Amino acid sequence: MFANRKIENIEMEVMDAVNQARKQQPLLNAMVSFTEVDEAIEYAKSSSGKMAGLPIILKDNVLTKGVRTTGSVQILDNYIGTYDATITTKLKEAGAVIIGKSALDGLGMGGTGTNCHTGFVHNPYDLTRMAGGSSVGSAVLVASGAVAFAIGSDTGDSVRKPASFVGIVGVKPTYGRISRYGIIPYASSLDHVGYFTRGVEDAALSLEVLAGRDDKDMTSSFREVENYLANLNGDLTGKTIGIMGNVIDAIRSKEVLVLFNDLVEKCKAAGAIIKVIHMDPVRLKTCLPVYYIIANSEATANHSNLDGVRFGMQERGDSLEELMTNSRTKGFSFLLRKRFIIGSYSLADENQDLLLRKAQKVRRLLVEDFKVALADIDVLIAPASSDVAPLLTDTSADQLSARYLIAENHMVLGNFSGYPSMTIPMGKINGLPIGINLTAKPFEEQVLFDIALGMEHLTGCKNMMAEVML
Amino acid sequence: MSFEVIIGIEIHCELKTKTKMFSGAPVSFGNLPNTCVNEIDLGHPGTLPSLNKRAVELAIIACELMNCEIDRLIRFDRKNYYYSDLPKGYQITQQFHPIGRGGYVDIEVDGVSKRIGINRLHMEEDTAKQFHHGDVTWIDFNRAGTPLVEIVSEPDIRSGKEAAAFVEKMKSLLEFGDISDVKMEEGSLRCDVNISLRPYGFEGYGTKVEIKNLNSVNNVLRAVEAEIARQTDVYFKGESIVQSTRRYDETSRKTVLMRKKEGAVDYKYFPEPNIPPIMISDEFYRKVKSNLPKTAQQRKEDYIHLLGLSDYDASILTSGKDLSDYFDAIVSCGAPAKNTANWLISEVLSVAQLRNNRRFADWIQPQHMSDLLVLVSEGKISGKQAKEVFADMIQGESPKDIVAKKGLVQVSDEGHLLCWVLEVLSNNAQSIEDYKNGKDRALGFLVGQVMKLSKGKANPAMTSELLVQELSKR
Repeated sequence: MFANRKIENIEMEVMDAVNQARKQQPLLNAMVSFTEVDEAIEYAKSSSGKMAGLPIILKDNVLTKGVRTTGSVQILDNYIGTYDATITTKLKEAGAVIIGKSALDGLGMGGTGTNCHTGFVHNPYDLTRMAGGSSVGSAVLVASGAVAFAIGSDTGDSVRKPASFVGIVGVKPTYGRISRYGIIPYASSLDHVGYFTRGVEDAALSLEVLAGRDDKDMTSSFREVENYLANLNGDLTGKTIGIMGNVIDAIRSKEVLVLFNDLVEKCKAAGAIIKVIHMDPVRLKTCLPVYYIIANSEATANHSNLDGVRFGMQERGDSLEELMTNSRTKGFSFLLRKRFIIGSYSLADENQDLLLRKAQKVRRLLVEDFKVALADIDVLIAPASSDVAPLLTDTSADQLSARYLIAENHMVLGNFSGYPSMTIPMGKINGLPIGINLTAKPFEEQVLFDIALGMEHLTGCKNMMAEVML
Repeated sequence: MSFEVIIGIEIHCELKTKTKMFSGAPVSFGNLPNTCVNEIDLGHPGTLPSLNKRAVELAIIACELMNCEIDRLIRFDRKNYYYSDLPKGYQITQQFHPIGRGGYVDIEVDGVSKRIGINRLHMEEDTAKQFHHGDVTWIDFNRAGTPLVEIVSEPDIRSGKEAAAFVEKMKSLLEFGDISDVKMEEGSLRCDVNISLRPYGFEGYGTKVEIKNLNSVNNVLRAVEAEIARQTDVYFKGESIVQSTRRYDETSRKTVLMRKKEGAVDYKYFPEPNIPPIMISDEFYRKVKSNLPKTAQQRKEDYIHLLGLSDYDASILTSGKDLSDYFDAIVSCGAPAKNTANWLISEVLSVAQLRNNRRFADWIQPQHMSDLLVLVSEGKISGKQAKEVFADMIQGESPKDIVAKKGLVQVSDEGHLLCWVLEVLSNNAQSIEDYKNGKDRALGFLVGQVMKLSKGKANPAMTSELLVQELSKR
């Protein structure tokens, strides 16, 4: 925890983090690379920034000048960042000490932590389980206690889902609140920079560091950044909390429902007004296919720059076309190539009306539904996953069931709409954590943090850490 | 001719901005390869475009000059294809919502005016430049991301002369609008011409052929005429035209096949997600519209009506923005307009041609040129002396210095002149006689004698007047 705490012995704090991450690496496999920290420590010593001396980790799709940035794909395995992402600069300026870069499902595509170029990432609560994805390494290293803050990115639920599986706070603010400049993209209209902490206060402070207009990202907002931490107020009295009825209906795990209902009752007792909100169930089932089409279409174009010509891994060929084909074939995993093909198919002139354009229309309808659902309430809540983290061997999810389509994919509404959304832990089931997701109206991050803090008081799930068996 | 010629022209024009369309890297020509690039131009991971406001302003000016309807909501799209000159693997362009639509320009061919429709005008970014040496290709990314507007005409053009006049008109509008430096030979203005033929009275269109890489207005004319001849020939032979891209070969004066067009390429256009739609505010639009640069036509009319120049002089002065700007600069330093026009057209242009350098101000500052013309108009030096001074001014010296150094002062003082006149008259009794007897040549001789006596310093006009005056007394 670092909000309201001055780090006295920066060297010790940073080296502790580095040592922990190193020791845990053989078990968790969450790191991609470690970075030089000496210079940053020196800078931090004289910094009065909001994160002065705080050891942190960046997802390896965040550009760092002079430091390898792989996006967890073969084709960028040898890529050294040529510039700093805007958030890298902001974090450095705030005095944070970047100790390394963490694993992700390649290019952010995937939600399991099993599609990383560096191999499977393990859940610190149970090494046989997944920790979700795609920001898996960052989530795991915050949950393991190595660091108190780590950067992720969230295109579908890539921060909020892993946060649920490892019992930490995962925040995805409003689209445009944090600059995306220097984040290797997945799908531009859905991509958000997000982050992990182990408490709501830390989350509130972190947004003060990360948020703000950046002229290098035209989609970033001109709105002033608020004093989220100073204004933080966990009093739930009179707060209106809406429960996503469709999600609750689709969840089969009794234990999850018990935890959730228990928290809802406590909120009510603390003075909150509870409403159950139902959205159009048929439309909700389209979340996943709509997401797939839009995300893969944008991703296909976004990653056309990775052609082996100017940087990254190059596979030779007899012609330019062959060189590009060979580089891309070898440079991307089967899963990524599959997604590019789906994206390319959806973009093709003869299919675009039926696929991409239709998906964009349905996206607008879903956002309209979501807006209506949030109209008279402060936040909309639901369990962040239908159950605890699955086993690494589990491939049995029935992808067409309501349990899967709705209970596992509702958080993508936060990406469709760009509304601020976060996950906080709500408890444990057989020693495995699970989170609750909250979403607020655009740029109402303060409301989100306030209610999350109120809930954190009720659950007592603050600063939760896994005991990683070494 | 037996066929009606249908021509449409596409113009790609690099905008005169300091930085690129979507990045802060400088726009340049002729710099060391790959020195004017940053991570955005090279398509590095994680980069995002940020739109150049000045480029939008220039596009709006272009739309206004070409009478286009402006779409105030600026939107961009991605055009996807893999090629080594396209770092991102897509080009950001305006496929679905071009900033300008439905405009026109008027051209004149053989004294007849004709209106050519403008289908669309849109903004986009340029690609990198490739150099092929044998089987090696070098890429210079300096050009990648340079702001462009693409202007597409309606198929309203009917001949090589009209095509050339259209390109000439576009060059003039874009140059005087300060939108582009329109150098076809350097590629800052590129034009592709689409040509097809059809029998007169036929409603549909024949198969069209595209001619690319035309590097001068003359070549537009020649290429179109060569292609019309070729296509006519093909039809007369009973063969058919193949849809293809051709280039113009200057040596053989023929168009040459580059590639056949096989099926349309699917560029998978979709709206650019990293640039939100931007509304051009009333304030911005009004500001741009109220500061529209004057076209060549407007400047010409000003020269005729405000400065009293002839149609001929005004036309020459507005044939290029460089010359017109230079003229304006000299006149604004105080030189008389008519004399300035004469000097520019007769002296300066011929020197420019000899030196093959139209950056006039680089070799004679407007102030110097103006000083020279004022010296002449005030009678301080003669026209003949002025030419002598002008020659030295090219070396960079100021006319006042040259005049002082050479002692080239014209004497216009009546008393001083009269002394010379009387001396000459007293030494040339025969000439006085001749003059009295009606021999006009005698006056010229006497003026010459005064000039000789004064070592060229006497004001010739005044000398002549004084001589006539004195002679009438005798």
